[in-house]
Amino acid sequence: MTWLTWRQHRHQAYIAAAALAAFAVLLLVTGLQMASQYRSALAACTASHTCGTLPSTLTLGSPVLFILVTLTLAVPCLLGVFWGGPLVASELETGTGQFAWMQSVTRKRWLTVKSGWVLLGATVWGGAVSALVTWWSSPENALRHQNFDVGKFDIQGIVPMGYALFAVALGMAAGTVLRRTLPALAVTLGVFAALRLVIATWLRPHYMSAITTVFSVVRPATPAGSYWLLTSGAVGPGGQRYSSGLLTINNVPIIPRACRTTFSQGVRGMLSCVRDHGFRGYLTYQPASRYWAFQGIETGVFVFLAAALIAVTAFVLLRRDV
Amino acid sequence: MTADQGATRPVIQTRGLSKRYRKVTALREATITVPEGRISALIGPNGAGKTTLLRLLAGLAWPSGGDVAVLGSTPRQDPAFLAGIGFLAQEIPLYRRLSAEDHIGAGARLNPRWDAASVRQRLKSLDIPPDQAVGTLSGGQRAQVALALTLAKRPRLLLLDEPVAALDPLARRHFLATLADAVAAGGLTVLLSSHLVADLERICDHLILLAASRVQLCGDIDTVLAEHQVLVGPRKDTTALERTHTLVQAVRTARQITLLIRLNGPVTDPAWETADVGLEELVLGYLGQGAPPALTHLTTVGED
Repeated sequence: MTWLTWRQHRHQAYIAAAALAAFAVLLLVTGLQMASQYRSALAACTASHTCGTLPSTLTLGSPVLFILVTLTLAVPCLLGVFWGGPLVASELETGTGQFAWMQSVTRKRWLTVKSGWVLLGATVWGGAVSALVTWWSSPENALRHQNFDVGKFDIQGIVPMGYALFAVALGMAAGTVLRRTLPALAVTLGVFAALRLVIATWLRPHYMSAITTVFSVVRPATPAGSYWLLTSGAVGPGGQRYSSGLLTINNVPIIPRACRTTFSQGVRGMLSCVRDHGFRGYLTYQPASRYWAFQGIETGVFVFLAAALIAVTAFVLLRRDV
Repeated sequence: MTADQGATRPVIQTRGLSKRYRKVTALREATITVPEGRISALIGPNGAGKTTLLRLLAGLAWPSGGDVAVLGSTPRQDPAFLAGIGFLAQEIPLYRRLSAEDHIGAGARLNPRWDAASVRQRLKSLDIPPDQAVGTLSGGQRAQVALALTLAKRPRLLLLDEPVAALDPLARRHFLATLADAVAAGGLTVLLSSHLVADLERICDHLILLAASRVQLCGDIDTVLAEHQVLVGPRKDTTALERTHTLVQAVRTARQITLLIRLNGPVTDPAWETADVGLEELVLGYLGQGAPPALTHLTTVGED
């Protein structure tokens, strides 16, 4: 089975390996440049004691590269569409399954070996891309502490492996149920994108209960490291929260009438006035220390979903007509 | 499944086998028996349920009702069972981007018995390039590759769905001769579907006739032919005749009537002129293609 799987998919494997190699060369060259740029900037700012403003004065690498790296968000989806979708669907659609399944090999073993290799390949490939991106982003992460944010969290660490595994399992299941390659590809694309969005937006913030800090509006607090900011705003004298901040809520300024005249005296004066009226600022966030816990939980969620989809694939392929 | 039954157990035995898809019934209450060593012709018009029956026997589809036993057991996902069966689907399923040699390699790794030499020899004798992607071969060449691969498994039962459809007449004859030789060598039973009676008549010794999702006839061709007779006589009431025999088809003209009947004892009425029936005549009689539909009386004859 392994032999047949390799014969069938070796061209895909070669193309994937070539693309990965090209991507690796690009990231290694630019990553080394960025690392040295960051090191020398850090040395310069340490000497002149200006490191506090470094995030606003230093730009690492080129924007084009950052866009390219962000596009690796699509890698798991592409793996699902091009490796997972046709895996069973093309065999059903072209009838070639009737060749493979009428050799002295059970469909169970056929599925185990073939999907096993493709799932492994996708996970390793997704992991390799993620490892490169994680390494490449390390100067930027050290400079701006944004790697917990949505969009950066999703292309670094171990979650891309979970996404790749899930996407391929989704493609397989869709192809097995729909029995047609093209609809399977469309469903894979749609479901993957929708589920990722839903989980990142509504589920991920709640993996652990967020931390809230309340602070004086005059001296805003900033949690250490790459924390993930969920909400921020103002707390009124009665304890009520204004997530829109101090300035407006539904275009009605929440700033006390008495303080509005202090605008003319500059922001500092106004903030002091607001503070004196009992207003404070608040932040809810996930601290940087939870980064890997979140990576682990999110990966677990997608591995679990992948397992469920593999079970669906096996059930349909083994219990239904083929 | 006891040992003493094993020796005489038919290679294929079904009872009341049915297959329903969402809206249509593809096979209704099929009861058939194919003994070992036969080359059985599965004959029927398009859409009669031939492919469905073959797929049920191969274990690629699940029956909706009834029993099916192939090589002594229910078709199942088990390497030993699969090793005994060679199945070639009508659409000639081969991986278009892989070469014949790739398929030979796959077969060698996926089967306990595999006669790679026979495939290579066959391809060589047919001038089919073994290293070319099969997608670039002609339809006939692809069919030859697929047939050679199916035979290379050395199965005990060959299920072939319209295997000769894509072959030219000469290749067709070669293939059928190969098949007959393989069966003569022993240990092989073949069930092949077709709607070309003339091709099958030459090599088949057993017949399963399917029409309208039902089994019309099943048995050794000689026996089946002996059980039928053509009667020609003056136009008269056939009620008396039908009391004893089964009327398959009646063709009436102004002066006389020609009947195809399934015998139940001898025909004693001297008014009838009797004649033996040929395979093609028999098949057409059952399929009602020998006469306009209005004049056709199609009777269902189940195997008991």
